[in-house]
Amino acid sequence: MDPDSHSIRFDPARCIGCVACSQACPTRAIRVRDGLAVLRPELCIDCGACAEACRYDAVLTRTSGAADLQRFRHTVAIPSMTLYGQFGRDVHPAQVLHALTRVGFDSAYDMSWMCEMLAQATDARLTDDRGPWPKISVTCPAIVRLVQIRYPELLPNILPLESARELAAKMLRRRIAAERNLAPTEIGIFFITPCTAIMNSILHPVGLDESHIDGAFGINEIYGPVLKAIKQDGGMDPDARFSPSGLLWAMAGGEIAGMRNANTMAVHGIRDVQFVFDRLEAGKFQSVDFIEAYICPDGCVSGGLTVEGRYTAGRAIQKVARRVGAQPPSIREEQVRTLLREHFFDLEEEIAARPIRPATHDLRQAIAWKREHAGLLDRLPRRDCAACGAPDCTTLAEDVLRGETTLDDCVFLRIDRLEGRVAPEGGN
Amino acid sequence: MSEAAPEILYSERWTIRGGDFDHGGEVAAAVKVILRQFGLPATEIRRLSIANFEAEMNVVMHADEGELLLEVLPDRARITLADRGRGIPDLGLAMQEGWSTATPEMRQRGFGAGLGLPNIRKNSDEFAIESTVGSGTTLRYAVRFAI
Repeated sequence: MDPDSHSIRFDPARCIGCVACSQACPTRAIRVRDGLAVLRPELCIDCGACAEACRYDAVLTRTSGAADLQRFRHTVAIPSMTLYGQFGRDVHPAQVLHALTRVGFDSAYDMSWMCEMLAQATDARLTDDRGPWPKISVTCPAIVRLVQIRYPELLPNILPLESARELAAKMLRRRIAAERNLAPTEIGIFFITPCTAIMNSILHPVGLDESHIDGAFGINEIYGPVLKAIKQDGGMDPDARFSPSGLLWAMAGGEIAGMRNANTMAVHGIRDVQFVFDRLEAGKFQSVDFIEAYICPDGCVSGGLTVEGRYTAGRAIQKVARRVGAQPPSIREEQVRTLLREHFFDLEEEIAARPIRPATHDLRQAIAWKREHAGLLDRLPRRDCAACGAPDCTTLAEDVLRGETTLDDCVFLRIDRLEGRVAPEGGN
Repeated sequence: MSEAAPEILYSERWTIRGGDFDHGGEVAAAVKVILRQFGLPATEIRRLSIANFEAEMNVVMHADEGELLLEVLPDRARITLADRGRGIPDLGLAMQEGWSTATPEMRQRGFGAGLGLPNIRKNSDEFAIESTVGSGTTLRYAVRFAI
């Protein structure tokens, strides 16, 4: 797989070759080679944990640029609801939408209403869907990729409904094309994203052939100009209507909070997700209907491309949701039922497994490798110091087996050898 | 005519301690990782993991100590789980769905639906159980995979 297929890369000018990112990576996708972090693209789930861990700002995230906007006659911004929580408790989301039209987008649309519709669609699907249970939400793209790579047995548990942002873009493109008499391809839809995972899901979608979104800008990239526009202008988008329950999707627990089905769980943070998914694979939690899972600790407000801290942002989102709560409900159940019948919400494609390195299909060969791996691991100190460039001793042994490096990478073994405690190392 | 003993390609043993809820489920997880490294089919890994998790938690909840032996053969993965414990007085009853001796504390942790043994049998292709009251229980089960 091409390293460019991911939305993160490492800046050789800033990377000092420390191992913070490598050790933070939940799928062990990073090695440090010749003093620089290197990505093993087939293992990366674009979660952004490396960017979070890096103390030298050496993890670059790939987003759209100003040139991408030039490709379209009409540009549209759809912000993640997380953006509304970045400017304190007193800024109305309609001000944020208006500000987006002042910083380079021709128009800006809210997607919280689509979240509310999707919550209703999810409820409907859960009542007539078949097992295996529980179903897992596709909202967090890093979760979908984690399942593809680490938990392929759970792929049948993924609820085959598209994410709210893709659905909002799909619907808005139709609407804007009709309203403004434009060809759908003349409209450029850009998502304002809290994380790298969503950026990558737009570049390389899973479960649909091509994303309905044309690009993405990080919240951190547009924060400054938007804040300035809010302060200078402060105008509101007069037509925007927000869904209070949809706005809460910016935080973990928001998705299930808006559902009728209460037999649900919200699981967030990579460690908790792995804890729960390990048990799902062992057949536990089958009495649960639906799991909302986020790789980030508090959901999207803790995304790597946000500016405001997650606690403050979460507090602001709650206030915002209260403020817009007075608006009349805009979502008609009948409309959701019609869209369900048209399969509007459905994923277009089946999600395929991307299992880690099926080293060999021969059982005897696989067992021989396992023994060899155990033999290598026996010789390593198991201190998981990561000085070799792999995040831990187990991973170094795997890399040696794959022929990518040798046990000479281990500093402990090298010291032993210098001090004459072991014979010089020949091959691996 | 005597059948040649099936070839055991790989075996590994783990000890499971009774009452050790903190580590309950770790052996099943370790077996899963190994079977995945061996490239066995996902469905079979999932079935065996479900059986292993049930069997392991049975030891944690009801026995003093158990030893789980994994053996990988060319066409199947086989588990032998022998525990030291009080044994099961009525196997027929224990094999019924919904029958449980779990304490309220166990139920609070989400166990004790009484589906343990039937669930193991359902998720394996070979299943045998022997139990002696006052001494312990031995479970043997296996999943077969196409090669």
